[in-house]
Amino acid sequence: MESWGSNVHFDFSALYKALPSLLVGATVTLRITSLSIALGLGIGIVAGLARVWPNTILRTVAGAYIELVRGTPLLVQIFLVYFGLPALGLNLDPFVAGVIAMGINSGAYVGEIVRGGIESIARGQMEAALSLGMTWHQAMYYVILPQAFVRILPPLGNEFIALLKDSSLVSTIAIAELTRTGQIIITRTFKSFEIWSGVALFYFAMTYLISRIVRFSEERLRYSE
Amino acid sequence: MSEWVVEVRNLNKYFGRHHVLKDITLRVRFGEVVSIIGASGSGKSTLLRCLNGLEPIQSGEIFIDGVCITANGVNLSKVRQSIGMIFQSFNLFPHMTALENVTLAPRKVKRMPRAEAERIALELLRKVGLEEKAHAYPAQLSGGQKQRVAIARSLAMNPKVMMFDEPTSALDPETVKDVLDVMKELAREGMTMIVVTHEMGFAREVSDRVVHLDDGRIVEEGPPEEIFYRPKHPRTREFLSKVINI
Repeated sequence: MESWGSNVHFDFSALYKALPSLLVGATVTLRITSLSIALGLGIGIVAGLARVWPNTILRTVAGAYIELVRGTPLLVQIFLVYFGLPALGLNLDPFVAGVIAMGINSGAYVGEIVRGGIESIARGQMEAALSLGMTWHQAMYYVILPQAFVRILPPLGNEFIALLKDSSLVSTIAIAELTRTGQIIITRTFKSFEIWSGVALFYFAMTYLISRIVRFSEERLRYSE
Repeated sequence: MSEWVVEVRNLNKYFGRHHVLKDITLRVRFGEVVSIIGASGSGKSTLLRCLNGLEPIQSGEIFIDGVCITANGVNLSKVRQSIGMIFQSFNLFPHMTALENVTLAPRKVKRMPRAEAERIALELLRKVGLEEKAHAYPAQLSGGQKQRVAIARSLAMNPKVMMFDEPTSALDPETVKDVLDVMKELAREGMTMIVVTHEMGFAREVSDRVVHLDDGRIVEEGPPEEIFYRPKHPRTREFLSKVINI
């Protein structure tokens, strides 16, 4: 037992004992986040491309999806998928429900990032490609997207970090990820400050890892413009 | 095969309510070099952009080598393969080397094998004097070098006509000459060229015909000696007196 001041007592041995459980919780967080990122990237790339596609129907559908998802809270979306879908006869495992809700949510943000990246490429690039006889699709694929990708990386990294932190919301549907694990340990030990500090550190370690990976890929991919 | 590479009949173009091109009729013969001169905002660049379908037109017809490109359902990509377009701002692809810039369209559009595309690209880069820059990225090139790579890139598609949209306007004065030399060489080889330019020296020396566009209308056209030394239209005289200091 350590004591700081006269009546504040911290017991970090409780955190030490909790480390193995928190580590397990963190791996669940990492798993659910990476699956959601993969799903969100897939949806988001399609949605972002649809937003700039020459087809009006595609643009409208993608626009509606993005507006709806961004205009409603992630927590409500998680509840809708986990508690709402059974009313339609679709009973999902909490983990699957969590990944689906987070993936759909992230897809909307990724879609906007992808659209922004594409639209940030100067119009002259598309015109030059078309003038060489390329079709719109070829120009998009060979000229616009490779350039947009480099610009998309930093905001994409921010989105991944936000998603990892937001994954704490799936603790509400009984997934024993990092936050939920912390809560459970506290109900047993009552060491709120110590355990929550530990939980925060775990989150920070993971977001820091993501930001390093993104930074690394940025540097690998950069070309001067 | 038609006698004309480019034939424009009664073209009208509006930006909103602004009438930018007024009843333009223009024909360009194979092997001819036509310079389009005129004040800023007279519609020169817009005309060029209409000719390869980058700008929609409101009425009139445009034929490229006999193919009407303003008809419904025309395959614009196919037509554009025979029109080289050089932009004021180069528009090189910054994520590719000079060589990759030049080989991209032949490989992806014409499905040319890489080795053949590269052989042709290196030949063209040598022609524009930049063979040693084949593996440089656009950011490592000067403006004049970029524009010459852009010319090689267009030539790689073996176009029937080359269009230049103020190709030297964004260049440092000392690099203008290299680009103009390449263009002169092209003209000598018999390339059909339409050049929107402020380089009156080039227009006078190289063109077979000069077209003066004023406020969206062709007010005068003819051989350079006539346009530059005996202009008939008062607007042409006025324009030339402002740009030429002899």
